[in-house]
Amino acid sequence: MTAPIAPEEIGIESAGRFPYFSDLALSARVAAVILAGFVMVAITGPLWAPYGPAAVLVGSPFAPPSMSHPFGTDDLGRDVFSRVIFGSRAALITSVSASGLAVVLGTVAGLMLAYWRGWIDELGMRLIDILMSVPPLILALLLLSAGGSDSLLPILAVAILFAPRVTRVVRAAALAIVTEDYVTAAVTRGESALSIAWRELLPNVAGTVFVEFSIRTGFAVVFIGALGFLGFGAAPPSPEWGLMIGEGRSSINASFWPVIAPALSMAVLVISVNLFTEGLARLIGQSGRPSIRE
Amino acid sequence: MSLAVATLIDVEDLRVEYRIRRQWHEAVSGVSFSIARGEIFGLAGESGCGKSTIAFALMGVARPGSRITSGRVAFENHDLLTLPERELRAVRGARISFVPQNPITSLTPSMTCGRQVAEVMHFHGRARGSAAIRETLALLKQVGLPDPPVLFHKYPHQLSGGQQQRMVIAMALACRPRLIVLDEPTTGLDVVTQWHILKLLAELRDRLGTALLYVSHDLGALSEICDRIAVMYAGQFVEVAPRAELFERPRHPYTRGLLESIPRIDRPPGERPALRSLPKRAGLAPGCRFAPRCDFAEQVCRTEDQRLTPAGAPHRAACRRWPVYLSSAAAPSADPARRPLSHDRSPQPGHDAPTLIDVCDLEIAYRRRFWPWRPTADDAVVRGLSFRISEGETFALVGESGSGKSTVARAMLGLVPVRAGSVVFEGRDVTLPIAQRPRRLKQLLQIVFQNPDASLNPRHSVGSILRRPLAMFHRLRGEAARQRAVTLLSATQLGADNLARLPKQLSGGERQRVAIARALAAEPHLLICDEILSALDVSVQASIITLMRELQRERGLAYLFISHDLSVVRWLAHKVGVLYRGQLCEIGRVEQVFAPPYHPYTELLLTAAPRAIRGRQAIPQAAPRTLPALPGGCPFVQHCPRRIGGICENVVPPLQAIAPDHTIRCHIPATELRVRQANLAGMT
Repeated sequence: MTAPIAPEEIGIESAGRFPYFSDLALSARVAAVILAGFVMVAITGPLWAPYGPAAVLVGSPFAPPSMSHPFGTDDLGRDVFSRVIFGSRAALITSVSASGLAVVLGTVAGLMLAYWRGWIDELGMRLIDILMSVPPLILALLLLSAGGSDSLLPILAVAILFAPRVTRVVRAAALAIVTEDYVTAAVTRGESALSIAWRELLPNVAGTVFVEFSIRTGFAVVFIGALGFLGFGAAPPSPEWGLMIGEGRSSINASFWPVIAPALSMAVLVISVNLFTEGLARLIGQSGRPSIRE
Repeated sequence: MSLAVATLIDVEDLRVEYRIRRQWHEAVSGVSFSIARGEIFGLAGESGCGKSTIAFALMGVARPGSRITSGRVAFENHDLLTLPERELRAVRGARISFVPQNPITSLTPSMTCGRQVAEVMHFHGRARGSAAIRETLALLKQVGLPDPPVLFHKYPHQLSGGQQQRMVIAMALACRPRLIVLDEPTTGLDVVTQWHILKLLAELRDRLGTALLYVSHDLGALSEICDRIAVMYAGQFVEVAPRAELFERPRHPYTRGLLESIPRIDRPPGERPALRSLPKRAGLAPGCRFAPRCDFAEQVCRTEDQRLTPAGAPHRAACRRWPVYLSSAAAPSADPARRPLSHDRSPQPGHDAPTLIDVCDLEIAYRRRFWPWRPTADDAVVRGLSFRISEGETFALVGESGSGKSTVARAMLGLVPVRAGSVVFEGRDVTLPIAQRPRRLKQLLQIVFQNPDASLNPRHSVGSILRRPLAMFHRLRGEAARQRAVTLLSATQLGADNLARLPKQLSGGERQRVAIARALAAEPHLLICDEILSALDVSVQASIITLMRELQRERGLAYLFISHDLSVVRWLAHKVGVLYRGQLCEIGRVEQVFAPPYHPYTELLLTAAPRAIRGRQAIPQAAPRTLPALPGGCPFVQHCPRRIGGICENVVPPLQAIAPDHTIRCHIPATELRVRQANLAGMT
């Protein structure tokens, strides 16, 4: 039998309760499990991977999948399975840190623009428009070719690329909040802009920020892969997935495994991130679903 | 009333459940009623009692997150709850139509109003093309909209709130339905507009024989038009009775509590709130659901369910104690809630009381001049506003929405730029934007906002909300801050257990108390209360008013009390200013403003208040009219029932000093106003 509700209880709805894992949609839960698997592999992989990432001629070149080489071997006889495992660590670290950096920059900028409004906001937004009007890949390549070959550089480039997009989203979310009375109350108390952004705005856009971080991580995986593929990312013999695809492409007729294995891993990772994000966004109550593509 | 003969819609044992925290909870528990043809049936109750849920069920709709678990809604040989969606659509809008609370959100902003009305006819195959347009024009005329051909082509945002609501009513009438379900149709409107809408609805019923289900928390509005009224509590009907009976001889303690809670112009509120507040999150025990709040409950009430039964025709009430209760209710003096408060406010500070804040000739405009040296058209929101508040005094600023009340509050806090005039606080000119104000000033001037949902950050606990001003103004941290927060909570009659709660976990009244506690944390001298009661239920309002009085007595606080509600102002304020379109049209001590001579606008506000609030029947002398806006003259001329001719339109009215402290801005001499308003003298 159902319990009757007291008059004032309607609308309280799961107040103050942190969402349970089981509140997520099934697809998001599956995706979360896969993501957890990726993280585990990235952390522990080097301990149990059958071969080193750069160990050449552990089998004959272009060997098809077998018990000893589950994904076959590449042109130099390296074990593709081991390389994919080692590559997952790089993929996760670079994409998470790039998107994390972008989200930190974008959130600070977005909150400040929303709080100040007026001409500062106008100026900031037009600057962002300019940055966003340059095709992303070209902007990234420009930054990379200007910066040299530091391994941190792709991360920085992607962060700079994503930050304006994060700024827009966070600013839009915060604009809806700056007009709330509790912000006005903080203003009349004489709080500083920084403390209003931190105490009043941020907690209320935290959901958006987290979803944004999650989406951007998915994009970052693909984007960093693309940079590697074009030869602007990690340098050989690094087992970076994009680079692996790029290297394997020329000999795809001899064996497609060196291309397929990292490509599939990348696809599964990105799709999992997106499904998880989507479930999360719905749970947090964001309108609409974040798009997979921009 | 012989209902059986002419029953239009019959609801039987309706049960609706909501899903909350992954569990189904019953929000409507076995409600049965019927509405006769041409009857106006009122459904009253406080927020969350399930009244809107019933309104939706009558349209065959379960609101998102809810399900109808049992019941029957019989209408024209159909059960609306089992009717296939396709057939239901033919009924909805055509046979039963719906008027929601907020007209602006129910009109499509990108379509002209006329087309939206015509579309309803088109959809239900009633009329199309030019026939639909002709009918629409006739409808607009019928709902009392001026100049239908012009309004036909207007977009919703170009209409006033009252016109929007009329437009929605026209839409509801488009297919000549048998029943219109109205969900809080006048809640967002000011009293004068509400009076017009209620009159319109009663007229439509008389002329077209349409039955109405009028759902509202506002017993005042219900008292104006309903034939019968049902009072709901916690998903059940507790009393059903014809209007006059319900208001004069309520059988159920809850009904009486609600009626006693209505702030009335003609009678001071009781010594303590007439309804006890709900025990905290106790859930509902078995037995009578009202028992925990009932002064008459006995042991049996807590174990035995109460069903609606005849309680002395024509009443039906869900209270087994009603005969006992009714006889004790006859002796009101025994009940402190009914005993009028002898010293309802702290005594008015004398003339020698030091002035706390002195507002002089304030002019506020949102738009800045493009060329600073060139005067722009007069776009001031507030003009020539002057008033003074002494220490420990309550000054009420009354006016309808859009009159500039809140703008004045924001200007006093330095949130909007002041174009001219000055604000002097404790002897210092403080006409400064917030960023330039000294900390001490920010501390002494605090504000409480209208809607506690919006004024408390949903992500911060009550404790963290209260600790912030304590840290900023008193440098209190840690245990000291916690203790002060507990003191503040108890000053606003909240328990220390609320410290860890989030605003969402509190009821509306508790949230507003927290907002007040936050303002008190700064230890202000002046508290600006911007419509702080209007988002709350009447029983909760009453307790907040009591709280405000106590705080004033204990701390000598001064209030700037901004409100549209004359009945609250009457018993809370020492001085009143009546604001119309940014100008004070009358200002004086409360007993002066509430007695003739009135400014015609004050008079209109008083006479348009619903009977339950006004206390005595009085109809506006002349129908307010709408004239084209004119640049000069009196701002109220367009709607003034006592307009005397050209002078009102062309000449700015003078300020007449009626008595010391009492000023009216009107062309009509005070003596003449007094004569013409003589019949209203006994009203208050």
